[in-house]
Amino acid sequence: MTRDNAHKRGETALEARGLVKRFKTGRSYIEVLKGIDFDAKHGDVTMVMGPSGSGKSTLVAALSGLLKPDEGKVSALEAKDLWSLPTGKIDKFRLDHCGFIFQGFNLFPALTAKQQVMTALKYQGASPGEQARRAQAALESVGLGPRVNQRPSELSGGEKQRVAIARALAKNPNLIFADEPTSALDGENGQIVIRLLREAASVRGAAVICVTHDPRLEAYADRVIHIEDGRILDDVRRTPDANPAPLSH
Amino acid sequence: MSLALATLLYEWRRYMAAVVALAFSGLLVLAQVGMFVGIGKGFTAQIDRARADIMVLGPGAKALFGGPSGLPRRMIPLVYSHPEVTQVAPLDGSGGRFQNILSPEQQAKEEARAKRAGKGEKGGGGGTARKTEFVNVTVVDAIPGYVTVPTDYTQSMIEALRRPYAVAVDETALKRLGVKKGDKALYNGKTIHIAVVTRGYPNIIQPTLVMSRDTLRMLGEADIGQRVGPLMVEIKDPARAEIVAAQLNKKADGKFRAWTRQELADANSNAMLEDQIIGIMLGFSAFLGLLIGVAITWQTLRGAIMANIKEFASLRALGVSMGDLRNIVMELSFWVGIVGVFAAGLLTWGVSLLATMGGVPMYFPPVLVAIVAGFLVAIAMLSGFLSLGVLKNSQPADLLR
Ligand SMILES: Nc1ncnc2c1ncn2[C@@H]1O[C@H](COP(=O)(O)OP(=O)(O)OP(=O)(O)O)[C@@H](O)[C@H]1O
Ligand SMILES: [Mg+2]
Repeated sequence: MTRDNAHKRGETALEARGLVKRFKTGRSYIEVLKGIDFDAKHGDVTMVMGPSGSGKSTLVAALSGLLKPDEGKVSALEAKDLWSLPTGKIDKFRLDHCGFIFQGFNLFPALTAKQQVMTALKYQGASPGEQARRAQAALESVGLGPRVNQRPSELSGGEKQRVAIARALAKNPNLIFADEPTSALDGENGQIVIRLLREAASVRGAAVICVTHDPRLEAYADRVIHIEDGRILDDVRRTPDANPAPLSH
Repeated sequence: MSLALATLLYEWRRYMAAVVALAFSGLLVLAQVGMFVGIGKGFTAQIDRARADIMVLGPGAKALFGGPSGLPRRMIPLVYSHPEVTQVAPLDGSGGRFQNILSPEQQAKEEARAKRAGKGEKGGGGGTARKTEFVNVTVVDAIPGYVTVPTDYTQSMIEALRRPYAVAVDETALKRLGVKKGDKALYNGKTIHIAVVTRGYPNIIQPTLVMSRDTLRMLGEADIGQRVGPLMVEIKDPARAEIVAAQLNKKADGKFRAWTRQELADANSNAMLEDQIIGIMLGFSAFLGLLIGVAITWQTLRGAIMANIKEFASLRALGVSMGDLRNIVMELSFWVGIVGVFAAGLLTWGVSLLATMGGVPMYFPPVLVAIVAGFLVAIAMLSGFLSLGVLKNSQPADLLR
């Protein structure tokens, strides 16, 4: 089940129009997304940047089918109007197409690195043999070949995040959402993580949408979108640096 | 290995409370079942090991002991007249006050202890205190192979019982009666002697003495009137017991009822378990076990799920449906139930060892054990079902902040 989308590079993978999201605080509503238009292409690393509280995470949640916007439309891959689908279909959409990487690693303490990845694959309907094979391959691709049988308590923060990435990438997602994937990591581990995301976009043609505070990650992006107070401030297309400066704190 | 099982094994400490709660719920019910069945066994041991193929009781009797099980003596020839009947003998029994007799040394020890107790020291226990107990008496005919002699009585036991004033006591009653093999004791004021110790005839309600019919007669307590106890009947071909019993019942015309041994054993233990008090006690215990088990297991599972809620949320984000998460929780509670069954088994085994040492043998019929095991798994699953609600907290959007 290799769904390599390298050939789709440059095509639009995700498009959102007029996204509005309000949260109720006390008696009043605050508008966190104020009519955002957004798109992301296969093969691109699209970086979303902006000050704290500007609505970046909320935007990603709305784009990825995790949080229903109050207004606006999201069309992603074959789902022309994602939020018009019933919950079960949205779950299925995420199962088939989405990978997530969060700031926290969210690994089950009881499972080894390999079991974490296999569990994610199991729900895609992969046979046990295939689960094991693909989990092993995914972990090796993030450089964790020698650590496949270790549990989170025996892994460093950077290694845990790599397991989480392997879990997200093992199913070959077309859409990868990452929210502050490097902020809990030191420079070196952060660099490994962003390189893996870069690779997923360049090599597999996935659309990577990465929220970050860290300006040094810009070097890896094809496109940088700045958000402030729920609005897109600017949207810059750029060429990723061939040899980005190392991230070190 | 599944996520649920791996989690249970790896984070077993988190689930200990639930397992312990289930173990005690199981113990609560199992220990009582074991005890009641143990008591029931005490009643039926004699039937199970009787040489009689058929037992003839009074028309209204439902069990060998308790109730009007006797019948008029003139029924004996009537039963005998069936061509296949080879032997007929009435059971006989009595009951009275049993006292042990202390040897001079024991007497001295007892006095010394009494003195110490007088000084404020507690002088409890000790197997050689003076004991007074009310006992049952049943008789056998001390003739090898005779219909009233239990099948597991050896030749030497029968010979020992043939001597006047010799009695048999079950090993489980020795401590209670304060005697050992070879001791003399008093029964209704007359001296008897403990000639035989039997195994496997426990009776925790009242100790039983077995003696020969002649000894009972010498004690002046044998049936000599018009009524006799239940009749023990031996027939030529034990395989035909059911047929012969039916023929005897036809002949009886309501004046008595013939039971096969199996029928009577079943009736005896049913009479025991159908006893209302026992039913109420068991039901109440099961209810209490259910309540405690569910309350603790539910809260434990809730806490355990909440501890992993972010991980569950990350699965939700990856597209695993709520239904699949529920299945994980239900599987987890199933395994908690299974572990609880084993813990309950272990605990009950320990308690039954202690009880057996204390002279209260327990028996656990496989069917009842299976029912209790199912009951524990059901408690765990019910708790799992109740804790499904916390999965609502697995909001994947919360992971994006
Ligand atoms: N569930 C919620 N209920 C109420 N308000 C919320 C909720 N989620 C987010 N908000 C508010 O929406 C605003 C934007 O939140 P969001 O998490 O999108 O910001 P962010 O850009 O990701 O910030 P950061 O960089 O600190 O992660 C914040 O002011 C936050 O308080
Ligand atoms: Mg955020």
